Amino acid sequence: MKSLLKYLSPFAPDLAGAVSVLFELDGLIVICDAGGCTGNICGFDEPRWFTQKSALFSAGLRDMDAILGRDRLLADKLIAAAQSSQRKFAVMIGSPVPAVIATDFTALKRMCQKKLDIPVMAIEACGTLDYEVGASAAYCELFKTFAQEKYPVKADAVGVLGVTPLDCSTLEAAGKITQMISGDLRCYGMNSTLADIVRASEVSKNLVVAPAALKCAQMLERKFGTPYEIAVPFLPENTLQAAINAAGKNVLIVHQVFAARALQQKLQAILPDSRISSGSFFNKYAQGDYKFASENDFAETVAEGNFDVIIADDAFRRIVEKSFHGQWIDFTHFAVSGKLLEEE
Amino acid sequence: MQAYSITAAELVKCGKDNIPSELQSGKNLIYSSPATLAFNSPGAQGFGVKRAGLAVPESVMLLVSPGCCGRNTSALGRDRKYRDRFYYLLQDDTDIVTGRHLNRIPEAVKEICASRAVPPKAVMICITCVDALLGTDMERVCKKCTEVSGVPTVPCYMYALTREGRLPPMASVRRSVYSLLNKRPKKSSACNILGYFSPLADDCELYDLLQSAGVKTIREIARCQTFEEYQAMAEANFNLVLNPEARYAAQDLSTRLAIPYIELTNLHRVEKIHNQYAALSRALNITLDDEPHRAAAEAAVKKFRRDYGSLNIAVGEWLNADAFEMALSLLEMGFKVSEIYGTLGEANYVYLKKLAAIAPDCKVFSNLSPTMLNYDPARSTVQLTLGQDAMYYHPGKPGICWNGEIRQFGYQAVRDLFQQFTEVLK
Repeated sequence: MKSLLKYLSPFAPDLAGAVSVLFELDGLIVICDAGGCTGNICGFDEPRWFTQKSALFSAGLRDMDAILGRDRLLADKLIAAAQSSQRKFAVMIGSPVPAVIATDFTALKRMCQKKLDIPVMAIEACGTLDYEVGASAAYCELFKTFAQEKYPVKADAVGVLGVTPLDCSTLEAAGKITQMISGDLRCYGMNSTLADIVRASEVSKNLVVAPAALKCAQMLERKFGTPYEIAVPFLPENTLQAAINAAGKNVLIVHQVFAARALQQKLQAILPDSRISSGSFFNKYAQGDYKFASENDFAETVAEGNFDVIIADDAFRRIVEKSFHGQWIDFTHFAVSGKLLEEE
Repeated sequence: MQAYSITAAELVKCGKDNIPSELQSGKNLIYSSPATLAFNSPGAQGFGVKRAGLAVPESVMLLVSPGCCGRNTSALGRDRKYRDRFYYLLQDDTDIVTGRHLNRIPEAVKEICASRAVPPKAVMICITCVDALLGTDMERVCKKCTEVSGVPTVPCYMYALTREGRLPPMASVRRSVYSLLNKRPKKSSACNILGYFSPLADDCELYDLLQSAGVKTIREIARCQTFEEYQAMAEANFNLVLNPEARYAAQDLSTRLAIPYIELTNLHRVEKIHNQYAALSRALNITLDDEPHRAAAEAAVKKFRRDYGSLNIAVGEWLNADAFEMALSLLEMGFKVSEIYGTLGEANYVYLKKLAAIAPDCKVFSNLSPTMLNYDPARSTVQLTLGQDAMYYHPGKPGICWNGEIRQFGYQAVRDLFQQFTEVLK
């Protein structure tokens, strides 16, 4: 059964993806839920929440709010919270409850915007989709709202899109990328400010490290003519070191597609005799890549592929524990296992 | 803007029907800080519905929900005790619109049971806000699952939307976990302790007191290793309910299995604990000699006060006690309590009135208030903190979480509290 997970836990959902993009930008973030979704994000999917103070709220929806569609009450709560704190924007993020009752986020946004002098955004997440969808929507909405003016391009300024703990699996990703690339680097989503978003047209190019940011990069290219390239400058050292010994082997790499492809290309250059394939549970990069639709799909691919080495998050290992007897190299993906590289 | 607070005296003056809107969770957004994690998601740390459902030994759980609801279970899955016991049937948008996922549940249960080397003794099906809004008849679906798989299947309702309703999720799940008990002949010397999903501390006097009064077998669900041991809970002559959230389950057991129940309150004032045991002995018509335990608890309080004086303690709600009852107890023991972080409800007013008489200026904050984003510990004079939330607000101050999984109760709780305080102040 495709939708039955017997070995895995669900992946990070769209609302977690949206929060991961907006978390550090000093906004008022309201998850329109009954509390559990907020708890899932704060207690699990947003590791920065434990160390950085943030204005993250649950709408605290109750059964009668949902049954009666009390949007006015929600708007009033948001307005009151925004007025009691000095935040640069407010954002509402959906969850299964507003998805079921078909909340009109555009109207809600307008109701709040009328009473507030900060920008108000809405991300219509529904909890059934993967984090990439929510992160993509958040990136687009964020840049659409704040990156409006065209600034002169600075040759040494480079934007990096897609740097979140969910995709990079470390809280040090932005720092590491900054060390690797010289110039005025702006990692949107981590260690950056809202001012960087406002001046997004200044950068000479954008690097896209995760599929979640691709749509936004394309949007910025259309709007400001900023070129973009897909690049994953940072790959976990432990994974790389372990993978280097896979010469002449049949290898499968599983991660988000850009990271999987980056590792594949890097290894293929070092190990030309190896047969290296890549795949993902989330998206597909190109023809020939694997796209796993379910646990069974992954198990079948592994059984048929005759792989000697699998480079993937340890969480996937359980699926093929009994059938795969080759070497497993951990390639941590926080959106899958909820594990950070720092924990290794 | 400063964090909103109101003094105990002002709050009593307002009355329980006029609690300021700043303290009412339904009137504001709910601030999500590490101090409120347990409110938003009881399962993030401790027992939520998912983990609680698996309190039934040798059971497995199928969570039927959008992916987001099961996400934090990844963390639980790392625990050996739960690693192979969670399954997920993910709902997509079409399922939500058409309800077609309901037809897949029996098939999924059958597949899960067949996939295990040893079939589970029970399947708990956990459903969420989505099915609450869809009005799903999960009892009927579970009946079908039982027929198809041959394994008893019961629903657990993780309806966060109803948390302030008549039957909140954590009360409902307690009913679910005891609903698998089947009628058995009674044993006059057996009782159950209901309320928690982890056991009472081994040195809790309740065990001694009951045993000395002739109760030979005391069962708690957390101490049951097998489904058969769990089923033996149906032999109990009476149930002791230590947590009001288990009241509904106890009522159900009383109706279904004719097991009466007695409710005890989690108190920390030594005199009140003694009175409660006296009432229990009258109700059961037995003699409970609690004097040695009482003396030990009183000595622990006395020693701590002698060693450390009447410290100013901040009391939070993320601990194994009612914040207001605990604050009142500490005040009556001779300590100062200048700040309480709690979610005020009608039930707390009993304690609040007495508390206001002793410490009218004690400030009451709501952890959930959006203004807590601006809480400034520099304005506070507290010297010691109690509760995980209180510790969060005062990171530089000595404090104890006192919210461990092993539950403290009665005189043992008092002894444990001051022992832990002493350790942290040493």
